[in-house]
Amino acid sequence: MGNYRVAVDVGGTFTDVFVFDEKSKEILVAKTASTPANPEKGVINGIEAANISGEDISVFSHGTTAGTNALIERKLPKTALIATKGFRDVTEIRRGTKLDLWDAYKDVAEPYIKRRDRFEINERIDYSGNILVEVDEQEVIELAKKLKKRNVESIAISFMNAYVNGDNERKAKEILQRELPDVYISTSSEVLPEIFEHERTSTTIINSVLGPKVSKYIDVLQNQIKEKGYDGEILVLHSGGGVMTSENVQKYAGRLASSGIAAGAIASKHIAELCGFKNAIGLDMGGTSTDISLVYDGELKTTKEWYIEYGYPIGFPSIEIMTIGAGGGSIARIDEGGSLRNGPESAGSEPGPACYDLGGTDPTNTDANLILGRLNESLLDGKMTLNKEASKKAIQPICEKYGYSEHEAADAILKVANANMSDALRLISVRKGYDPRDFALVAFGGAGALHSAYLAKELSIPKVIVPAHPGVAAALGCLLVDFRHDLTKTYVANTDDVDIDTIEQEFSKMEIEAIKLLEKEGIGKESMNLIRHLEMRYIGQWRSLEITVGRDLTSLEAALESFHKEHERAYSFSNPDQGVEVYGFRVEAVGVVPKPELPKEKPVGSLNEALKEYRDVYFEEVGGFINTPIYDRPAVPVGSHLNGPAIVEQLDSTVVIPPEFTAEVDEYKNIIISLKSVVE
Amino acid sequence: METVFKTKLDPVTFEVLKNGFVNLVDQMSEQILRTCYSFVIYNRDFSSALCDANGNTIMQGTQDIAVHVGTLHLTAKAVIEDFGDDIHPGDVFLVNDPYRGGTHFNDVRVIRPVFHEDKLIAFMQSNGHWADMGGSVPGSFDVSSRDHYGEGVRIPPVRVWSKGEYLHDVANLLISNMRVPEERLGDLRSQAEATKVGETELIRLVEKYGVETVLTAFDEVQDYVERLTRAKIKELPKGTWETVDYIDMDPELGDGLIPIKIKMTIEEDEIFYDLDGTHDAISCFLNSSFGASLSGLYAGTKTFFPDIPLNSGFYRVVRAHLPENSVVNASWPVAVTGFCSGPYEKIMNACFELWSYVMPERALACSFNLEYLLIGGWDKRDRYDNFFMWYDWMAGGHGGRSDRDGANAMSPVFGAGLSVQPCEGQERLTPVVTSYHQIITDSGGPGEFRGGCGVEKGGTLTNIEDTVMSVCCDRSRSVTWGIYGGLPSNPHGNWLNPGTDKEQFLGAFFSNIKVKEGDSFSRPSAGGGGLGDPLKRRTEAVLEDVIDGYVSVERAKKDYGVIIKEIDTELDLYEVLEDETASEREYIRNNRKKWLREDIDTVHELYKNGEIDELDLIRKYGVLVDFANGKVLYKSTGQFREMLEKRSAAYWD
Repeated sequence: MGNYRVAVDVGGTFTDVFVFDEKSKEILVAKTASTPANPEKGVINGIEAANISGEDISVFSHGTTAGTNALIERKLPKTALIATKGFRDVTEIRRGTKLDLWDAYKDVAEPYIKRRDRFEINERIDYSGNILVEVDEQEVIELAKKLKKRNVESIAISFMNAYVNGDNERKAKEILQRELPDVYISTSSEVLPEIFEHERTSTTIINSVLGPKVSKYIDVLQNQIKEKGYDGEILVLHSGGGVMTSENVQKYAGRLASSGIAAGAIASKHIAELCGFKNAIGLDMGGTSTDISLVYDGELKTTKEWYIEYGYPIGFPSIEIMTIGAGGGSIARIDEGGSLRNGPESAGSEPGPACYDLGGTDPTNTDANLILGRLNESLLDGKMTLNKEASKKAIQPICEKYGYSEHEAADAILKVANANMSDALRLISVRKGYDPRDFALVAFGGAGALHSAYLAKELSIPKVIVPAHPGVAAALGCLLVDFRHDLTKTYVANTDDVDIDTIEQEFSKMEIEAIKLLEKEGIGKESMNLIRHLEMRYIGQWRSLEITVGRDLTSLEAALESFHKEHERAYSFSNPDQGVEVYGFRVEAVGVVPKPELPKEKPVGSLNEALKEYRDVYFEEVGGFINTPIYDRPAVPVGSHLNGPAIVEQLDSTVVIPPEFTAEVDEYKNIIISLKSVVE
Repeated sequence: METVFKTKLDPVTFEVLKNGFVNLVDQMSEQILRTCYSFVIYNRDFSSALCDANGNTIMQGTQDIAVHVGTLHLTAKAVIEDFGDDIHPGDVFLVNDPYRGGTHFNDVRVIRPVFHEDKLIAFMQSNGHWADMGGSVPGSFDVSSRDHYGEGVRIPPVRVWSKGEYLHDVANLLISNMRVPEERLGDLRSQAEATKVGETELIRLVEKYGVETVLTAFDEVQDYVERLTRAKIKELPKGTWETVDYIDMDPELGDGLIPIKIKMTIEEDEIFYDLDGTHDAISCFLNSSFGASLSGLYAGTKTFFPDIPLNSGFYRVVRAHLPENSVVNASWPVAVTGFCSGPYEKIMNACFELWSYVMPERALACSFNLEYLLIGGWDKRDRYDNFFMWYDWMAGGHGGRSDRDGANAMSPVFGAGLSVQPCEGQERLTPVVTSYHQIITDSGGPGEFRGGCGVEKGGTLTNIEDTVMSVCCDRSRSVTWGIYGGLPSNPHGNWLNPGTDKEQFLGAFFSNIKVKEGDSFSRPSAGGGGLGDPLKRRTEAVLEDVIDGYVSVERAKKDYGVIIKEIDTELDLYEVLEDETASEREYIRNNRKKWLREDIDTVHELYKNGEIDELDLIRKYGVLVDFANGKVLYKSTGQFREMLEKRSAAYWD
């Protein structure tokens, strides 16, 4: 058994590797190109790039966009849906809505299973769980024959009202399993026993279309890593912010639909905690978009309203991430009304910003940062050179339109970008009743630290934390998680006449199920942590709030009190006199695993030795260009104070400390930026 | 040459504030969505707006329902008109008056003035569809109403909070007239809080940027939208285009479609709509007041300019003439609650057609009609004994487009964000069991680009007492049409006890039909109209449609002239018989204009003898029959055929 904890996060463009040596407490990072056709190859390449052998690995965790990509590209196995007679089109009718209300030429994505592959059988259960029509074995056998003939590889079963009673689904599954032993089958009552046929069916379908593919991918990867000498389990990160092993991946494949995105949020939570913050907003800004997440009181906010493609919800609880079209490559332009806009259109990586010299002619945020001297013309240790002249050429139309100089135009572009990001930060914080002054902003991704100080100022966030390795923070996130499963169930009852024993029994049943899942993953009882949540709402309301409750429930008094309080916090009103109903349960089952303890460093060398050069950098707040020290981040000793203006450069990221700010480097090598006026 | 436009604000401040306003109204919407009580609001029949001190709309929510577009400034102005100087900090007003710019009674607007140092600077407005406003019919949709008395509570501008004090008595007077009054109070509270959210956010902007800058931005955001719209219109071809769409009938007049005529003129950088020649107001509630009709014109136009933000700057560029006392400008006290299914849908779709000629690359044939059904009565299931309302609207097909088929099973154009309700939720709350909710084969209007498919929903009533059913729809006669040679889809209209000896066709609008335990019903929604000549549709596209069951083998032949042979249906193996297809298409091409002019009685005979079906009547012969009694509608048929000649036959070679 080795002593390396290894995390590999496979993204669309890059595969990031984060290695933590448990013995020496050293960190090693690597980045290689992703290999979308055979993602496992990228993983192996990454491990090789990090120069470690399988025997040295103690824990291997993995975040992957394999599920996301398979869905978007529709590279899915031949999957059939089996529905109640009269309801095979639920997944096509959906809720009927579209994301872009006004554009008749912007369509909702096609259903994951075409109509030709959606079948019906005679069966029906009513709202209270009574079986109105039993499953006819012969009918299912006939259907199985047909599916066999059609070479179906996977099946989703979703019947009406199966969330109250899964018997009919179970029976159909048993018959199909017997007739088609090699076919992957999931039923809606196992996957997500929650009310609302579209949401439940959609989740079940996503589970079924990903099931065979994702399980196979993990198996292949497991074998390949075994060949390298690692014989432990692969821990796969899921959208709920925990890991599971291959056996449970098999059952809950749909939870991998956004495995990669969750990793960054987890890293931001951990880094904030290291710095003493229980509340943090994560800002992961890359080339085309920015992912924003929120931690409150040590918990990442989760949501059950998410999707990879609009219209096809995935009901598994997932870390809430807000993605906006603002990144380094976002394009600035003047619209027909003469207004300066920024994003969401992006130059992407091809042709990329004008300064990449790959044919891009539109000015982007990266171009603006370059013109202002905030970005170095030489990036990635000299492997990439940016062409400032091309940026200046691209920005001309904006200069001409408003009579701006080049740097004024570049500054205006960044201000608009920052305002857009601030609006998004406001939506996820202030709007939901959180005061940004109680938070830290954790900025990472290639471009996060270029903008973060200004965003913090705009929202009165007192501190910005830039982690030591902003470019591979997502991979770090994969190392920082526990085993985790979420079991949910719809249960509607008025709190005035609720039967508390029934609730207790339901919770216990779910907990037994949860314990089984964790046991399969080798988690001992002492490391299990089961948390109960109740969904509650005022009678007559449509949305519910999730309230955490204790175990061995004897009364709902405390839950009700929390509910009124939470309603007041979230929506600024509550009404303790009004009736409240329970709407559902969730059991959050955590299998705690030891986390790597990130190394604390001692100061080595002096800040002066880390000074690379002085460069003229534009800051409007001090009236223009100012001679600014540029530091080499790896050489900056812990404990350093950096007085803005200053810029800190590293392999894949640049930290801007504007004139009004000051920064410190803590013992974990995080750079913590604050407003001078606040510090003084 | 580009117009030089001087702005007082620098581009960054302008953009920041403009986006700040968008963000502010969206925050209000989010609050509503999370705290409302009316499921109609929850399913997105609401809107939010920031209006300036004169009531002009500065910004509307990005996810707002189309049908409220361009009416929110009118109700803000109504408050100003009635209260003038008597508006104070902490006041909150209510309005739903359709004769003062509202849409219909159910759309209740909550309006909060915002002050800065004693000066009125803005109004925050939250508009939501309350599930019931009282009146004779649950849900307040009485089709047979001729005037508004008895439809529900009409609320002229009324103060409900005075200087921060909640006026119990006033609120009580209003909600005491509504069904499930405590839920209406919940909606009121939810909307009032939402306007508060907007106020807080606006004050934040004022504190940060200064009141003068924010007020300047109010004007400039409107000017910006005006400028943007004018710049886009200037690039378009100039001229006049006209068309006519129809409401099914005036129940008192009987046979005869009710024309809504629209003439659009694009001149310089402005759009002018003239609805002269439109029919007089009719004797049921499918009339529209001026505010709602203007909204239809704005929304129809906006569909072709999806990127332009909505505010009063846009409304300055679009002018309209709505003839007084017509079905599109009914005045007090004519009933207008059904405007949404009646004139509104017709105006919007007619606009789609007109703009399809101006911007063929964004062309859009007619989409299905907004349809909703209300069942209200006593729930007598085990452990239940309460009044219930089953209030349901359908998804349906959208029109064919210039380069692709129309969308299947979408929310209505009246509100593309209005979400279809889950049957499981309905079954829990009401004694109505849904027996199917599925796409209808052959419902998409044939065309080179097929209309999207419609949907049918069927249900059975279980343990009920004293229960009635109402439907608010249209287009059982003025069937959803195609353009550029495309064909109509299928008629709307509801059936009671279909397939039994008690089968009855109830039509597309009716109210207070008594129903009892065990009764069943069926509701088809229409598909979208087709775009382009169906004989030019690629045979592979027809084949794919057959495999997916969007089109039957039978109608592939009748509608598209494509002959498809089944080889193994279990394996989706079919074959297009190319030679037979070529000759079938030739046959149709040579005869189809003649069929459209065939003697009506001869066609009717074929129908009565079962030789042709409903879709043949409509698509092949253009003949309209009253499905309730099987009789031919001669006058309506004449109008329908005239329409088909213009929209379809004129494009056939």
